[in-house]
Amino acid sequence: MATTAAITLASDITSAFGGITKTMTLTKAGAVTDIEETTGFSRRKLAATTAVDLITMANELVEPSDNTAAKVYIQNIGDGKGNIDKTTYVTVLIGATAGTTQEVGRLYGGDWLLMPVTVVDDMDVVVAPSTNDAVVLEYTMFYE
Amino acid sequence: MATTTAAVTLTSDLLSDNMSVSTSTTCMKGGTSADGLDQIDMGYVEIATGTNFDLLNADDTNNVNKANKVYVANESTDETYYVVITIDATVVGRLYAGDWMFIPWGAEDATADIEIQAYTGTNKISYAYLHEGKLLGSA
Repeated sequence: MATTAAITLASDITSAFGGITKTMTLTKAGAVTDIEETTGFSRRKLAATTAVDLITMANELVEPSDNTAAKVYIQNIGDGKGNIDKTTYVTVLIGATAGTTQEVGRLYGGDWLLMPVTVVDDMDVVVAPSTNDAVVLEYTMFYE
Repeated sequence: MATTTAAVTLTSDLLSDNMSVSTSTTCMKGGTSADGLDQIDMGYVEIATGTNFDLLNADDTNNVNKANKVYVANESTDETYYVVITIDATVVGRLYAGDWMFIPWGAEDATADIEIQAYTGTNKISYAYLHEGKLLGSA
């Protein structure tokens, strides 16, 4: 049972950049054993600039292991009807909406991210759209 | 305009109906659909254990609240090796040997550095930073 993620970066910024292609198999922390748990693939529509939890770590049905090899994938797919606005964004943060958050960055229309997460309670994945217009995020988390 | 694309394919057979996601995005400058990111920094470093280092420093005002993108890969081969990625003292997560990440980076203030600390042994890290500008120091 394997989960893999492959990235390809291509650019003509400089001829010195030959591109990046890398595939990883998601494994458990410190092991070559495949990661076994996932939230499944989800979709969430937002239509306000209010910051909300996209993934609340304390709400996972089975308490995940903290500080291991968990990964989160998120894509801003635009309004969900095929319209992608590259000028608006969703800010992705780590923390608790009722407490302290730390910005990761701005996910503009069409952009995606794949990053490790701690899965520690209150270190939630928080998102905040830049406008009140509808924006849809697709996301999944893999964890132990 | 420079054109940079970031594509990902994510597959998993953990569910009874296999998951397969493929997408690609063109990396634009912040707030525009007409001009692509046109500057890049790349590197390959060996990170010794014991110290939390700044991998990327956020004190460049050219890139505050922009559409910067950061790729980091742990090129180590021992599966017990890992680095902890932190932004401004908030731990993002761990990159084990063979793992990579690709994130937008707000660099929203001078303390929002992307930090890295190695565990178990000296980790080999490659990275690429796509951005809108770099403030060079006077000679």
